[in-house]
Amino acid sequence: MATPRQTLTIGNVLRADIRGFVVASRIPEPEVPTFGTFVRAPIQQGRTDLIGLVYNISLQDDPFLKNLAINLDQADEEIIRDQRENRVIPVEISVAAVGYRDEKTYRYGLPPQPPMVLYRITVCDADEVRAITASPNFMRPLLENRDVPAADLIPAAIRRAAELLPEAAREAFYLQAGRYLAHYLGRDPIQLEQILKQFSNPVTFQA
Amino acid sequence: MGYCVYAFVTLGFWEDAGFLLRLIVHPITPEHGFRAREAVMRVFPGASSSYGRSYFRRKLYYNELGKQGGSMLHIECLQTEIEAWSAFAQHKQEQFTEKVEVAHGYLQSPPPPVEIRARLAPLLGRDWTGALPATEAPLDASFSAPARPPDDVTLIAVDGSQIFPDRHAAILYYLIQVGAIVFRYNGQTPIPHSRPALYYQDSDLFDAQGYVVSAEKVNLRRLTQEMAYLCELATDERRAAPTTPLFALTDGPLLWAYPERGQDIERAFQAYLEALGALQQTGVIPVGYVDRPGGRAFLELLWALHLAPEELVERIGENPFQQLRDYRLMERRLPPGARTAWFTRPTTINRRHSEAGQEIWFCYLNVGEAGHPVIARVEAPAWAIPNESAMLTLHTALLHQARVLNGYPYVLARAHEEALVTTLDKKALEDVLQRQLMEKGLVPQMSEKARQKAYLGKR
Repeated sequence: MATPRQTLTIGNVLRADIRGFVVASRIPEPEVPTFGTFVRAPIQQGRTDLIGLVYNISLQDDPFLKNLAINLDQADEEIIRDQRENRVIPVEISVAAVGYRDEKTYRYGLPPQPPMVLYRITVCDADEVRAITASPNFMRPLLENRDVPAADLIPAAIRRAAELLPEAAREAFYLQAGRYLAHYLGRDPIQLEQILKQFSNPVTFQA
Repeated sequence: MGYCVYAFVTLGFWEDAGFLLRLIVHPITPEHGFRAREAVMRVFPGASSSYGRSYFRRKLYYNELGKQGGSMLHIECLQTEIEAWSAFAQHKQEQFTEKVEVAHGYLQSPPPPVEIRARLAPLLGRDWTGALPATEAPLDASFSAPARPPDDVTLIAVDGSQIFPDRHAAILYYLIQVGAIVFRYNGQTPIPHSRPALYYQDSDLFDAQGYVVSAEKVNLRRLTQEMAYLCELATDERRAAPTTPLFALTDGPLLWAYPERGQDIERAFQAYLEALGALQQTGVIPVGYVDRPGGRAFLELLWALHLAPEELVERIGENPFQQLRDYRLMERRLPPGARTAWFTRPTTINRRHSEAGQEIWFCYLNVGEAGHPVIARVEAPAWAIPNESAMLTLHTALLHQARVLNGYPYVLARAHEEALVTTLDKKALEDVLQRQLMEKGLVPQMSEKARQKAYLGKR
């Protein structure tokens, strides 16, 4: 049974398939999750959780906003603030599935079911992220999913997970991830290079 | 062999005919189209191929629309009327253009306001719906304002929306939601407000005869609630900013719009006048904003001035501008950003406003751009107009507000958005209400008529 945790709820599932789902959200700008954030969605009537990674965030517009955007200038400060802070524009957050959690452990790969429409989605807490990324197998569904920008998403997820580890454990973590990728992408050296290059300066990353 | 061929041809005929018959009673798919066209040509060899093509193209098109939940209206049956309508609209436009030029001619060298008021005095008290100059500004005067956002002024805009009661629905109730926004020109984020209210008591839902209350009564209640909410917000805002110029905007006329008498209307009118008085006491100027106004008070004035004094009363009803509206003339003569002088309407309702110290004056304002005039009627109480500085601030603020939204004040659009109850909101509310009833063992049911309409509406 999925246990409730005190983490940020970002919205409800709008549409889903077995490889991922899209969340509709109206949360304020500072709380919109960033690219590579780990999130979870209840599946199978809440008995398990699907774990996924945010790989796209698209801001929706509306005719009212389009009309305004043409005419506003920086002097119209009150209107800009009203649009940003009061009229929260719908955000669509796309999530790629990386695995799911059963009673005892995390399983990597596609879940048995997608989450149902209007299920609430929450951001994974630090313990969960550490547990999910303990095995580099979480990268496999991303490498096999042609809809996600794996070359950018995997480094973002790895860096996010590394940030949550003690300083001394980070190098081993990067090495483990690099070895896994080298093994998996042995026949695709271009993508391997693209991903590994982004590991080179992990310290500058800000979550 | 010959019999076989005959049988084949005959069977083929009936097959085609049967297929065509099925098309009449069942929707067809695009794949059927080609076969249908061929069948028509075989069953009705005399039918022209172009007829067959156009008939089936239309049928395919409308069947596709039906599949998308589109209309069952046979628009092709209205083709003649649609063409006649467009010719009529073109003719009417030409007539309007001519009449606007005539009216514009009447406006050349108008007499001074004092003389106008004296000349038209015989019309007062005769239910004349024309305008009279309220100030000493010439009739053809126009006033401009700076093209920049105003400094240190607050606008409070209010609007309302409702769900009307429906005696066929599963639940009998109505809802009013008033929305507002407080917009301070000081760089701060505007503050949106909304207040919904649910009405379900018998005294709310039924009139004295036991009928479900009319849409007009709900609208009346909404109007008084909008004004009460505006007063409440204005009082709070005045407390927070004792010296800032403050305007309270409503979407629609400020002049009371229900000329009929009746206990409910009278009570609502008194509450409305009291609210206007309360705003005055608070130092807040109420403003009514009417987009594309439908009145012709100014044209009535021009016609009256065109008549000789001896024929004034007798011929006042022969106004040649009956179908024209003031805004069309103002589109012709008001430059972008400019407003007219202030006018008053000596109607019975305005006299009652006046008796309560709340006579309403109005002007026309062009909030559009060169080549794209957008005319609004701006209404304000007579007591506020002598404050020239406040009126200039209002003029400037309205121009700025309308500029950002292509000709409609931003605050009014936002107040509307805060008030809006969408069909999705209505459905969500009714789901909650129904769930509540079911938890108490009650099973709400809509009428059979409503149920059938709901089914048809989903096609």
